[in-house]
Amino acid sequence: MSPLLEVRNLSVAYGAIEAVRDISFTVEAGQIVSLIGSNGAGKTTTLRTISGLLRPASGEILFQGKPIHAEPAHAILGMGISHSPEGRRLFPRMTVEENLQLGAYVRKDDGVQADMDRVYELFPVLGERRHNKAGLFSGGEQQMLAIGRAMMSKPRLLMLDEPSMGLSPIMTQKIFDTIKELQSLGTTILLVEQNALAALALSDHGYVIDLGRTTLDGPGHSLLADQRVRDAYLGEVH
Amino acid sequence: MSTVAISEKRSALAPLGKPLAIAGGVLAVVAALLPWVTFSLNDGNWPDKSTLQFFDAPFLVTGFRWHMLLFGVFILVAALAPTPSRGRVLRALGWGTLAVSFINALYITIKGGGLGAITALDGEVAFGGVVGVVAGVLVILASYGIGIEPVADWKFKVSTPVAYLVLLVAFGGVLYAVAAMLTTGGVGASNPYAGAIFLSFLGFAGGVLAALSGVGLVRWISALSEEHRVFSVIVLAACALLLPFTDAGNEYWMTVAANIGIYAATAIGLNIVVGLAGLLDLGYVAFMGIGALVAANFSGAATAYFGFSLPFPVAAAIAAVVAGIFGAIVGSPTLRVRGDYLAIVTLAFGEIFTRSAQNDIGGFTNGSNAIPGIPALSLFGAEFNRSITIGPVKLPGGVLYYILIVLLVAATMAVFANLKFSRIGRAWIAIREDEDAARAMGIRTGKMKILAFLIGAMLAGLAGAVFAHKNGTVSYESFKFLESITLLAAVILGGMGSIPGAVLGASLLFVLPEKLRDFEEYRLMIFGLALILIMRFRPVGLIPDAHRRAEMAEKADENAEEAHVEARKA
Repeated sequence: MSPLLEVRNLSVAYGAIEAVRDISFTVEAGQIVSLIGSNGAGKTTTLRTISGLLRPASGEILFQGKPIHAEPAHAILGMGISHSPEGRRLFPRMTVEENLQLGAYVRKDDGVQADMDRVYELFPVLGERRHNKAGLFSGGEQQMLAIGRAMMSKPRLLMLDEPSMGLSPIMTQKIFDTIKELQSLGTTILLVEQNALAALALSDHGYVIDLGRTTLDGPGHSLLADQRVRDAYLGEVH
Repeated sequence: MSTVAISEKRSALAPLGKPLAIAGGVLAVVAALLPWVTFSLNDGNWPDKSTLQFFDAPFLVTGFRWHMLLFGVFILVAALAPTPSRGRVLRALGWGTLAVSFINALYITIKGGGLGAITALDGEVAFGGVVGVVAGVLVILASYGIGIEPVADWKFKVSTPVAYLVLLVAFGGVLYAVAAMLTTGGVGASNPYAGAIFLSFLGFAGGVLAALSGVGLVRWISALSEEHRVFSVIVLAACALLLPFTDAGNEYWMTVAANIGIYAATAIGLNIVVGLAGLLDLGYVAFMGIGALVAANFSGAATAYFGFSLPFPVAAAIAAVVAGIFGAIVGSPTLRVRGDYLAIVTLAFGEIFTRSAQNDIGGFTNGSNAIPGIPALSLFGAEFNRSITIGPVKLPGGVLYYILIVLLVAATMAVFANLKFSRIGRAWIAIREDEDAARAMGIRTGKMKILAFLIGAMLAGLAGAVFAHKNGTVSYESFKFLESITLLAAVILGGMGSIPGAVLGASLLFVLPEKLRDFEEYRLMIFGLALILIMRFRPVGLIPDAHRRAEMAEKADENAEEAHVEARKA
């Protein structure tokens, strides 16, 4: 059986500048996979290309064995890949409920309300203040809403870009606990993080991306133990 | 810093609040009864007998003096009776009193040749204006002494029949106000003081409306009308159709009202593009022009391109479709350019349209000679520009156009309201808020943006078709850049994304210049000043969209909210 997502020799360029060069990785159904690497490594570009917001210069993206890299963004979302973008990108002047409704924009079935209730169950703070403007919530709460909104399209694969950005350590822990919970509920997750320690601890498999290339990969715990990773990303001083 | 200043000001004024308000109210009444000018001005008597008439005819208090008297009584009631958010109400009434007094006194001064006109002449005293201004200032000071509380929220519910009655009265009041607003000061130049009378009336109407809104009545009634939406829409439509039976029921005002209606319908169309989808369009009136030209060319007019005439509904449908096609073409660059750059593209399109029409490119426009002699519409042999008689009722000329245009505006409103609350409307609003995030939600942003342009242009094209027959002549001069800007101003002034706002904005922008004709060369200056003042004091527009209104209300709580968020983070 083919993996849920397979990225083969992907390159993406902004004009003459190549942001991603020859990245390959796979995500098996049910896994949490993380892409780690420093600023400018090409992680966000990779996610944006998978979700159809950017076009690859070369390479292939296969979802359930089918190539999707030429499909438009709404079609990719319809196939079951949901993307919670970097910086959360909520609609700050809309209410929690309206944000969630937009998350379900591509759906035509009538289970939207039930799924919304499920999000409120997962994040009670959102349910309590569902008619408040998203922009008035704290960073952590906004991140919860961003994840909830991405879940509203009922994705098979949820891609989270820097969910811990700008959050306190306690809130980061909470968000990572939620990610684990989503996995246990059956969602496959592709995580992009600068917080390598927390991401790898959570992941079934990790890929280290450096200057647009995959340089290392392996199960999360073994990458955590790898001296090269520890030197480069975990801030250990000898 | 500012809070300290306010509280200091308040502590000094606080004990004086009520006495000041009472004094101001009494002075306003006195001012209404005092003489305002002791001689006939060059252009004839100052309107409404503002000389020592009180002593000649003690109960004849009319016009602005009647308004002053009402203000005085309202102020006294607000000061003495238990009024919710009293400070806010008094502030509105005080500004109204000040405006009415100041406008009249200023005008008398200018027309009478100096301050002598409003003080004393020939040993007689005419202090009405001065007393009125003092009354206004006192009441404004009093309101700050009492303190400006938030608008009261009326919690009580009423049964459906009572709610219907309240709504009937409210909309009846709106109808009365509209008729009065149109007719006040008379038609055109027939009254030498028309401009001043109109401005003074505006001061009165504004003061009363602000006071009603301050006391919470306006909010309560709009909540009621929201609750009984269908009934409200019916009553509103009925009120619009009743306008020909009011004082405004003559050919002149029917024509003005019909023109306002055409621009209101166009403004609602523009509101889809600008208010909902957030795409700035600076050449929008061109679509109206395209609609008007299409209708003109199919009308059978002598200089029309086609030598035959089509029935109006068919011509109007073609006009809408052609305008819509151009809308989609102009909208297509939105796939590539955003924001300011798109505005420049639309600006250029507007210019291309005007220049092509001026030079008669394609032979569709007849250049600067325009297409005159477009026949009036007719239905069962009744020409739309003639007066009609149904039994004992004689309706003024142009009333059928007025009714057609009311239906047009109603249809446009229905289209707008349905779209706004649909999936498409949600997509537009999401694009307006954050286009990239909207794409990540699976919204086909390119398609949606072109759709906004297309629908907006179709509505404008339809309005243009009516415009062609209504005015009988279609010239490129009617569709210049300034018209686009005025329409845009109508949308912003009324409140982006709001339907009643667009109608009110269009009404103001097309009534004000008409009403201010009296001021000749100062007309546009006063007009501009009015726009600046409105945007200063109502930055979200006169009747903001519920969304935006909530936003502004939340601004007040935002500090508290932020503190709450900080506390959570800690």
